[in-house]
Amino acid sequence: MAFTYSKLVETTVGAGGTSAITFNNIPQNYNDLVVKISGRGSASALTSVVSILLNGSSTNFTNKYIAGSGASVSTGGIVQFVGDFPAATSTASTFSNTEIYIPNYTSSANKSFSVDHIHETNGTTAYAELSAGLWSNVTFITNITLSIASGTFVQYSTATLYGVKAEV
Amino acid sequence: MSITRLTTNGLNGTKYDNVSADNYYMEPIATTLVGSGGSATVTFSNIPTGYKHLQIRGIQKMTTSTRWSWVRFNGDAGSNQYTYHSLQGNGSSASAAGGGFADTYGRITLADTQFGGVVFDILDYTNTSKIKVVRSLWGVDLNGSGYVGINSSAWNNTTAITSITIGCEGSDTYTQNTRFSLYGIKG
Repeated sequence: MAFTYSKLVETTVGAGGTSAITFNNIPQNYNDLVVKISGRGSASALTSVVSILLNGSSTNFTNKYIAGSGASVSTGGIVQFVGDFPAATSTASTFSNTEIYIPNYTSSANKSFSVDHIHETNGTTAYAELSAGLWSNVTFITNITLSIASGTFVQYSTATLYGVKAEV
Repeated sequence: MSITRLTTNGLNGTKYDNVSADNYYMEPIATTLVGSGGSATVTFSNIPTGYKHLQIRGIQKMTTSTRWSWVRFNGDAGSNQYTYHSLQGNGSSASAAGGGFADTYGRITLADTQFGGVVFDILDYTNTSKIKVVRSLWGVDLNGSGYVGINSSAWNNTTAITSITIGCEGSDTYTQNTRFSLYGIKG
């Protein structure tokens, strides 16, 4: 019998905003983790970069991404990269649609993860991004932090952590 | 909320057993399968409000090459209500395209005359403080050509989503055995 998503933690940002969203004390009895994010930043810009920290660490990360801006394609590597989230000059009330998938988060191997992320706005320039991340650390993941580079996550931003496991 | 304990009251008193019964947070809501006559659209109506996110998984085939599959919410076919942005590859090059609220539908995938897969997500679909935004992952291989991509589309409305219509660009139709399945993900 396959257990699909089990919700572990749900966070909704309040009126004051927050510079980071953190999931602590992640249970260790699942196979994979999924984070679904509907987020927006407060900075006076079209977008703000959101990064991921694992177990509070920002070291030993590598990344490859491909991004479409609505007109052109770019590729490269930005460590800890999650995505370009809508910020204050993106169309009002528009939030990201983002999913982070972390398989085998309790394995004794380095931790890889994938990110599917989109940003929408009323204009040509908007970002569709796919990322592959690697945290070269064999420690089990017990903590995930999403950090926005400029300003704060605004009210109504949500992030939900799910556990995924299969049992026969 | 997960069920974590069962209580029984019997002759020998109350007993407690701790259980680990994870709830199924992803549930099927509805499935549509296109029949032999084909169909230009597929609609999920009366979508329950008791979930946090929606996901549609599909396998699609059209009668014409290189056509968009599109989405409309709550039957809204009004002018300038939908955006789209696309990042796609065709096996030899990658491209990006898109624009603002200029369409009567949201372009979510390319489809073709072979079956291709698609998964698209709508987060916080009942939240009336948010414009509804779709993220889709899609691809179709044509044994020599093909496409793979990620698309986004925004519906210029904060109303809770109660119906989703998926359709073919132009006068095209989905062929038999095209299937879309709607899932609800709890929060």
